[in-house]
Amino acid sequence: MRSNILFGRVALAVYLVIFFGYLLGPLLVMGLTAFNSAPFPSITPWQCYTYEWFGALFQDERILNGIKHSFIVGIGTVILSVSIGLAASLVLTQVWPRWRSTYYTIIIAPILIPGVVLGISTLVFWRRVSEVFGENAAFLNNGLFLTIIGQSTFIASYCMLVFVARLQRFDTGLTEAALDLGATHTQAFRKIMLPFMRPAIASAAVLAFLASFENYNTTTFTFGAYPTLTIELSQMVRYGINPSISALAVIIVALTVFAALAAEVYRRRSKIKSGDIKPGKGLPAWMFGNVATILLVALSFVVIAMVYSAQAYSPAQCKIDYKAERQIENQTRIEALQKARREARQNAAPLESITSEPPSQGAGAFGSVFAPTNLEDAAGTGSEESGTPEAPASPFGSVFAPNNLEDAVGAGKN
Amino acid sequence: MRKPKMFSEFFKNNGLLMGGILMFLVSFWIIVLILLPQLSMLDFSFRYNLPPALQGTEADSYTLDNYRYLVFGPEGASDAFNKVDLMVFVRTILAAMAVTVLNLILCYPLAYFLGQSKGGGFIRLLVIMLVIPYWINEILRAFALRIIFGDGGVLNGVMMSLGLIDQPYDFINADIALYAGLGYAYILLMLFPMYNVIESLDRNQIEAARDMGASWVRIHRRIVIPHAKPGIASGMTMVFMLSAGALAAPQVLGGTSSLWFTQLVYQWFNDTLNWQQGAAYAIVLLVASIAIVLGFMKIFKVNMGDIGK
Amino acid sequence: MSSGVDVTLDNVWIKFGDFVAVREANVNIKGGDFFSFLGPSGCGKTTILRAVSGFLNPSEGRVLIGGKDMAGIGPNKRPTALIFQNLALFPLMKVWENITFSMEVKGASAVERRKRADELLDMIALQGQGDKLPSELSGGQKQRVAIARALCAEPDVLLLDEPLSALDLKLRQHMRTELREIQQRVGITFIYITHDQGEALTMSDSVAVMRNGIIDQIGDGHAVYDTPATPFVASFVGENNVFRGKISAINGNEAVIATNRSGELLSRITPAAVGKLKVGDDAMMFVRPEVLNVGEGTDKTTISAKVLNEEFEGNSYSVFLEGNGGKRIKMAMPNMGQNQHSTKGEVVSFSYDVNNAVVMPAGELASE
Ligand SMILES: Nc1ncnc2c1ncn2[C@@H]1O[C@H](COP(=O)(O)OP(=O)(O)OP(=O)(O)O)[C@@H](O)[C@H]1O
Ligand SMILES: [Mg+2]
Repeated sequence: MRSNILFGRVALAVYLVIFFGYLLGPLLVMGLTAFNSAPFPSITPWQCYTYEWFGALFQDERILNGIKHSFIVGIGTVILSVSIGLAASLVLTQVWPRWRSTYYTIIIAPILIPGVVLGISTLVFWRRVSEVFGENAAFLNNGLFLTIIGQSTFIASYCMLVFVARLQRFDTGLTEAALDLGATHTQAFRKIMLPFMRPAIASAAVLAFLASFENYNTTTFTFGAYPTLTIELSQMVRYGINPSISALAVIIVALTVFAALAAEVYRRRSKIKSGDIKPGKGLPAWMFGNVATILLVALSFVVIAMVYSAQAYSPAQCKIDYKAERQIENQTRIEALQKARREARQNAAPLESITSEPPSQGAGAFGSVFAPTNLEDAAGTGSEESGTPEAPASPFGSVFAPNNLEDAVGAGKN
Repeated sequence: MRKPKMFSEFFKNNGLLMGGILMFLVSFWIIVLILLPQLSMLDFSFRYNLPPALQGTEADSYTLDNYRYLVFGPEGASDAFNKVDLMVFVRTILAAMAVTVLNLILCYPLAYFLGQSKGGGFIRLLVIMLVIPYWINEILRAFALRIIFGDGGVLNGVMMSLGLIDQPYDFINADIALYAGLGYAYILLMLFPMYNVIESLDRNQIEAARDMGASWVRIHRRIVIPHAKPGIASGMTMVFMLSAGALAAPQVLGGTSSLWFTQLVYQWFNDTLNWQQGAAYAIVLLVASIAIVLGFMKIFKVNMGDIGK
Repeated sequence: MSSGVDVTLDNVWIKFGDFVAVREANVNIKGGDFFSFLGPSGCGKTTILRAVSGFLNPSEGRVLIGGKDMAGIGPNKRPTALIFQNLALFPLMKVWENITFSMEVKGASAVERRKRADELLDMIALQGQGDKLPSELSGGQKQRVAIARALCAEPDVLLLDEPLSALDLKLRQHMRTELREIQQRVGITFIYITHDQGEALTMSDSVAVMRNGIIDQIGDGHAVYDTPATPFVASFVGENNVFRGKISAINGNEAVIATNRSGELLSRITPAAVGKLKVGDDAMMFVRPEVLNVGEGTDKTTISAKVLNEEFEGNSYSVFLEGNGGKRIKMAMPNMGQNQHSTKGEVVSFSYDVNNAVVMPAGELASE
């Protein structure tokens, strides 16, 4: 019996480690690549510890613009989808029982409709509407407008679900009491319903913003002249990667963890204040409260230390050493490779000379990264071919199209 | 007769101003954001791809060509069917199903563990750790996997330095990266609905069953799973629909030799600029995945109202 | 303070779909009265109150307040204030904000509201507690805040939906007197709902007893207790011994009922049934436990039965007896300091005053 329980525990622990390894491992790896001086994201081989990608990130005009557009779209989407979601959830509580399931099906459907479809339908529909209204309604074709509309279509459903959950705990008697005391319907809504819904509104707003910020499938059809951060990232991933993307991820994760810890500390403090936690009882919660505080402080320290050391630290010397070391290593490798992959020779050699990256690995990474893109570009000329996933003659053949290479290298040297 | 009464009651309960605002917002959403765009896309999918000059003229009539193309391919093609696109379609649907089932298997134990534990710091920590990956971008998540699975990626690096392989294994073209990425992308949408329903299961039920000598397998089969059915259905529906409709993960992680159906749609729109054809493809995707979900819901006797709980 | 106004229900029916929740209610409530609706759970009391306060419209009939037809006037426009069954205090507002909410919606300044709140807090003996949240109050305190909140709206009619049901016995008794005092002080019409007959009898000027959406009887406490109009009222209000049988003779206001198991008994006909009983009708006679006395009376007011057991209840003893054919009878004897009243198994004869028994056509009894 005991050994059974022990076995269960071990199995659980192993399972949890695997699950969270799957979930967090990739992030960790990506985070590390932000500090490796290799010109595209990798941790093997490790070159030099560097902060340069953070610098590159903040100088990248397109990323900064993308962030700006993402914020505009995010705020618009939050306003639109939170109010729609709130209205829809309030109506849901009042719809006649026989209509309820139909109504619910309609308002839940946007979650299930593929984002691509939403994007396309938004684009097609508003194009038509603007045709009807002509020149003076140009805003209907504006990328920001379309993106906000397209995203809100399904994000409103998410918000609606948040509100429905909260509304289940609402006592309609409160609204009635307010009316009974002479409040108008609007006053009852503003003074009773809204305060009650405030926490849900806050979480729906956060959820809506995050969903909007990270949305790709819908936005990719609607963004027009206003690419959001996600769109820019996807372009970078497809046309040229350098680890400043990883740096961005590190920043986002750090902000997330920071917010989560702060929320935890706040929660804990307000619980102590309201006397919900008695010291000694509920030890894990108590300890976690402390742990959260400690972690929060520690995290702040690490960030400050990093920012500070970034001023002083320079990987320049390390890079030179590394370069020299590699040059020798590469020479021997290239010779071996030249034999093995004749077709690749012309392409691999120039790359090596510019980036000083081992061609086998560098080529591999680029190869698979750019392949689908190139395929699409190539296929763009003839529709019949577009669906023909014809593999390039060699992984390197079409991969190192000269302009791709330049893009990549340019970004790398940024 | 009943409908007007419903409306007058609605306005009586909410007042004119509030009722009006609610009505406006909800109908704006349903009509302008949901129904009309879908209908206009449907309409669009039955039209020819014409230069602007010809639009609205007589040539701008309805046609089934766009759908015919998906099934039979271009006119005068050597094959009787549009094998390539149809294969992509079938593969997308099957792979999305596979991803859904894998996600279910992976998430069920955790949902049970989280749902039946009494909360506390450790659980909250786990939940935070679950959510963090989803605060960063879908593209970045896929990209993180790309770093791991790429030819020069971490996994190949580790395996080569361990001497397990001497050539980088092409995870990308083997679609392993893609499936890992799709599973990764929507795992929370599988986990949380299940977690919610399992949390509402009275622990006493499990204890009572155990008291009567039921094995763990039986407890899950007879008590936990029936109780969790709405959550499981909800999670599976969302994961399937979203995986089948995913674009980011296939674009970043897909191999060169295999496209995802959404990528075809994307190409029609952005590369070939044949929106009508793209709309037709999108409609096919939408209708097929909805039909599949409804079919499974019928088989497993799940209600629409369970979705999203 | 506003003085009370009349409330009239004129042939009111309330239906939910096919279900009739209130049937033909005709009630006249005098201004300034403390009026109670009494009835078992689910009989339609809350429904009537919601019709008066305007949350639902009667399917038929009219509600008049102060002689004015209320049709089409919303709850926020009626001169009523409702104290909800679950109080419905606003959880996110402080006590003083709760109390003065009706002023807030009319745009009164914070200073004004604060002042009024302090007055009302004084009245409900919660001085200095205005800054608490409702969740920080005890049950009885919440109760009083709900009353103050309703009074602050200066209604002409105060509607109370079982406001004391959640309280423990002691507090409930205390709040009864307090409510009655408040009502006398402010002088407005109170309409009070309860399923507790003690509450209804002690506080009300008038009581309406309801059953399944029907109002069986309206009258003051005495009338309802001593001269119930229907078997339901007789059995629901207070305790009663019921004897079933057929009328064998009628003489003016009195009738002889041939009971099934206890022989012929003489009784007064309850006022509501005078003129409606004929010889041979199925009838029920009610005699309350406390009007039974040991000792023989006339041959038509005497019953004999065997003592089953006796229970001590503080101020009285309850003696449980078994008459002919297993007929159960209960008798209440005041506690005068004796150790016990009777011995188990003993056969006793007891009688009652004809004026203390009522007979009426047979009908539905209250369950329990
Ligand atoms: N909105 C409604 N729809 C349908 N039936 C209702 C509705 N409200 C009340 N009823 C029904 O009307 C009847 C009377 O309900 P009401 O709330 O008036 O009872 P009550 O006398 O206040 O009972 P209690 O003492 O338990 O509060 C009940 O049978 C109830 O089920
Ligand atoms: Mg009630």
